[in-house]
Amino acid sequence: MSGCELFLRTAAAAARSCRALVAFTASHRALRTSPPSRAFAKELFLGKIEKKEVFPFPEVGQEELNEINQFVAPVEKFFTEEVDSQKIDQEGKIPHETLEKLKSLGLFGMQVPEEYGGLGLSNTMYARLGEIISLDASIAVTLAAHQAIGLKGIILAGSEAQKAKYLPKLASGEHIAAFCLTEPASGSDAASIQTRATLSEDKKHYVLNGSKVWITNGARANIFTVFAKTSIVDSDNSVKDKITAFIVERDFGGVTNGKPEDKLGIRGSDTCEVHFENTRVPVENVLGEVGGGFKVAMNILNSGRFSMGSAVAGMLKKLIEMTTEYACVRKQFNRSLSEFGLIQEKFALMAQKAYVMESMAYLTAGMLDQPGFPDCSIEAAMVKVFSSEGAWQCVSEALQVFGGSGYMKDCPLERILRDTRILLIFEGTNEILRMYIALTGLQHAGRILTARINELKRGNVTTIMETVGQRLRDSLGRTVDLGLTGKLGAVHPTVADSANKLEENVYYFGRTVETLLLRFGKTIVEEQMVLKRVANILINLYGMTAVLSRASRSIRVGLRNHDHEVLLANMFCTEAYYQNLFSLSQLDKYAPENLDEQIKKVSQQILEKRAYICAHPLDRTS
Amino acid sequence: MSWAQASLLARGLCRGWGGICGAALTGAPFSQVPPQAPRGLHCSTAAHHSDSSLVPRPPEPPRRPAKALALHEELFRQAPDGARDKASFVQAVQKFGQHNVHRRGHVDFIYLALRKMREYGVERDLAVYNLLLDVFPKEVFRPRSVLHSIFIHYPRQQECGIAVLEQMENHGVMPNKETEFLLLQIFGRKSYPMLKFVRMKLWFSRFKNINPFPVPRDLPQDPVELARLGLRHMEPDLSARVTIYQMPSSKDLTGVADPTEPHIVGIQSPDQQAALARHNPARPIFVEGPFSLWLRDKCVYYHILRADLLPPEEREVEETPEEWNLYYPMQLDLDYGRSGWDDYEFDIDEVEEGPVFAICMAGAHDQATLAKWIQGLQETNPALAEIPVVFRLAGSTGELLAPSSGLEEPSPPPPEGQEDEEDSQQQRQQQGQS
Repeated sequence: MSGCELFLRTAAAAARSCRALVAFTASHRALRTSPPSRAFAKELFLGKIEKKEVFPFPEVGQEELNEINQFVAPVEKFFTEEVDSQKIDQEGKIPHETLEKLKSLGLFGMQVPEEYGGLGLSNTMYARLGEIISLDASIAVTLAAHQAIGLKGIILAGSEAQKAKYLPKLASGEHIAAFCLTEPASGSDAASIQTRATLSEDKKHYVLNGSKVWITNGARANIFTVFAKTSIVDSDNSVKDKITAFIVERDFGGVTNGKPEDKLGIRGSDTCEVHFENTRVPVENVLGEVGGGFKVAMNILNSGRFSMGSAVAGMLKKLIEMTTEYACVRKQFNRSLSEFGLIQEKFALMAQKAYVMESMAYLTAGMLDQPGFPDCSIEAAMVKVFSSEGAWQCVSEALQVFGGSGYMKDCPLERILRDTRILLIFEGTNEILRMYIALTGLQHAGRILTARINELKRGNVTTIMETVGQRLRDSLGRTVDLGLTGKLGAVHPTVADSANKLEENVYYFGRTVETLLLRFGKTIVEEQMVLKRVANILINLYGMTAVLSRASRSIRVGLRNHDHEVLLANMFCTEAYYQNLFSLSQLDKYAPENLDEQIKKVSQQILEKRAYICAHPLDRTS
Repeated sequence: MSWAQASLLARGLCRGWGGICGAALTGAPFSQVPPQAPRGLHCSTAAHHSDSSLVPRPPEPPRRPAKALALHEELFRQAPDGARDKASFVQAVQKFGQHNVHRRGHVDFIYLALRKMREYGVERDLAVYNLLLDVFPKEVFRPRSVLHSIFIHYPRQQECGIAVLEQMENHGVMPNKETEFLLLQIFGRKSYPMLKFVRMKLWFSRFKNINPFPVPRDLPQDPVELARLGLRHMEPDLSARVTIYQMPSSKDLTGVADPTEPHIVGIQSPDQQAALARHNPARPIFVEGPFSLWLRDKCVYYHILRADLLPPEEREVEETPEEWNLYYPMQLDLDYGRSGWDDYEFDIDEVEEGPVFAICMAGAHDQATLAKWIQGLQETNPALAEIPVVFRLAGSTGELLAPSSGLEEPSPPPPEGQEDEEDSQQQRQQQGQS
């Protein structure tokens, strides 16, 4: 009990000091970046680097850092000493005491503003805590479902009354929230949502009917953010079905849930179906506007993604510790595993991935913490895609180091591998997010380039000559200088080579985007394989920027082991540079590297027959 | 001079000779062989009439005395209890070898045996063909000099050998190593049967799997199963469901069901179901048929449920809902489209047709039976209850095709006369390719 209290007190203290700090940093930053600057990722599509956004790497003040560390220590202690991930995985549930402890640590209200009893953490601090929470995937998912999506709607779109009514209890963990969007027939397709809310005759209630599937915290939650179709009378008197978000309490009645789902990973998290049967929801509980649920859902989904970067990085750091120990102890042929090149390679990969995703995550968090609610949804999506794929790859490689023993249930690697697989799927599958990244950027670039492209299409001689001249100069190998390097450049000279690579990539990426828009126009939506490459390039570019920015800062500030950082940064930049060159050349028309036509043909033939159609190698015609 | 050149020259000569000899000798075999050596390729099936086929036609007029032929016939009649199967056929062929040590009259015997094969149900048995080839005496007909191979050596025997191969070809039997060995022994490498063999080897392997919609070789006898197969054959959508709306009341093996309760088998895909649900009830839909479908040598009849194409002014423009995808924009807000260079859409005039909602095969083609089908469809398509259904059934004139001989196809109106097997086989081939 006393330990509990101690935690509570520490949390409260941390929260208090945070408030002051946040207020301070906010005002400080407001002075620095008063003119609203353009989003970094969108500008990349035009072949420009918006330096102000990403250089220098965002920092936190010394006091704030101390506070974070003070806050992080007990949480870390709790996770390493008291949380038994293996038991949680085997029993398929998080023990009650563990949940209580998490509540007392204040982890259920990390981003809830302090006036409602939360910790009111900034995005950067939230990311820092995410590193530790992710040591147990089931707990991380439970907490994320509660606050990154479950109660996020109330913070983002709730009225004062709603916030005052619900947030305090949610922040303390007395109530748990769940986010109910997915339905059997509707994953990302909002138009096929079947749950319906009809206004009662006295216009005081909505009657909610329908079923939602795969709801994390579905059995445990008391407060649900539910999306349902409602009939809206339009301005021109036509009746339309639009989505509305509701805050639904379990006590409203008619809320039942199915049996817990048996999952591959994150087995300790509680996932089940939730059914609403004639649930009466008061009109006050409409979240945002009636018919405005689509925007609410989009905002919630877009806001939560960046934290996956730091969470995965935290997990990878732990993983590297576990794996290095095994590699150094295990002996084969009188040598330890760590002496073999093919094993060493795996550690370089893990370190590099961890470094890049950490840089991306904290850069994004820093951007989000700037005043004026900057729109960093593309950046957040990039962090999510990069970190989830990196996690899967690294865990798989780490398991490979363990060899056969990694495949056994006794080894934690097996559980981590299963847990990691969900990262590629939830919060928007990576395929969908790639479409989002590419299309949002292309929309931005397309608007700005409209005038130019229209002139080219109309056959304006000056513009054409200008473009041809530019292409000619490009093909003759011009050196690109976007002003990252040089005297007093944003990037430290140690990594200037890598910065030049980034500049070159960015410049030609801009050119390629222009060509793509010219070629496909708005029909580019249908060219998913092109879009995938655009997204991949952009993710690489963002990663390069993040590591360059971070490494430059580390050198200049003189952080410990910054030469190691330089190595990692240069390694990643070189790899990404060549990957980008390859993707860019694939995006050319008639590129021999581009196999899209063949790929489409093969898949078409297979899908038509719904089977593998090659004859067996042993078959004969006679 | 190489053999090839020599044989080319010889061919020219032969053609000249053929003209002369053909006039002189009745039924000269020359005309059959050299100029149309690649006859085996059935590319030109349409032009390939039964009179050009070698097989069932013995050399006319028979040059051997009728007595010899009758003797051979006797061999086939000797089977105990009149069983006609592979064993008795093989027995007959072996008896010929035993009775006739000098293999006298073997060509006539082989022609006869070829004609008998179908009766004995061995027309697809490679071993039997090899056995037949084995009847030829070995080494006798091999060309011994260049001159022999230039001028066809033992033309009558060579032609008979080709006839065996041709019948194999018609039944899709691929020759094997043993065949090759026999031919080598009998005719030698530089002979026309060998040429035919090589060509068969080449083209069979290329044409064997050329049909993207293969039909199983042995069709089911049960009409319901046959209908199921035919419907699956026509429906491209693999999620389509076959429903048996009515089983034939009496299921004897001849398949002639009680006319009051014929079988009704239908197929419908989920897309068709959805299209039917969207159909405007004010517009009628039609049951049309019967249309024919050939599955190998069987003809089955089907009916379709279809609607007319909507006039352009009534078509609903499919609009993309504003709030559709929660994750990424489904369309870009740009005012320029695809450039001409990347537009690979060819300008094709396409004939648009109205939607087909379902297909069925029934044992009878009258309105009462088809009405039962529509009733059955209503269970899964409630919308059908409100849509007027018009039966547009073609009379007897609408059906051009007669059931192939002796098959138990429940009779669609009067057959137009028996077509012989050869023709129906060719039609099957045409159908199969289309």
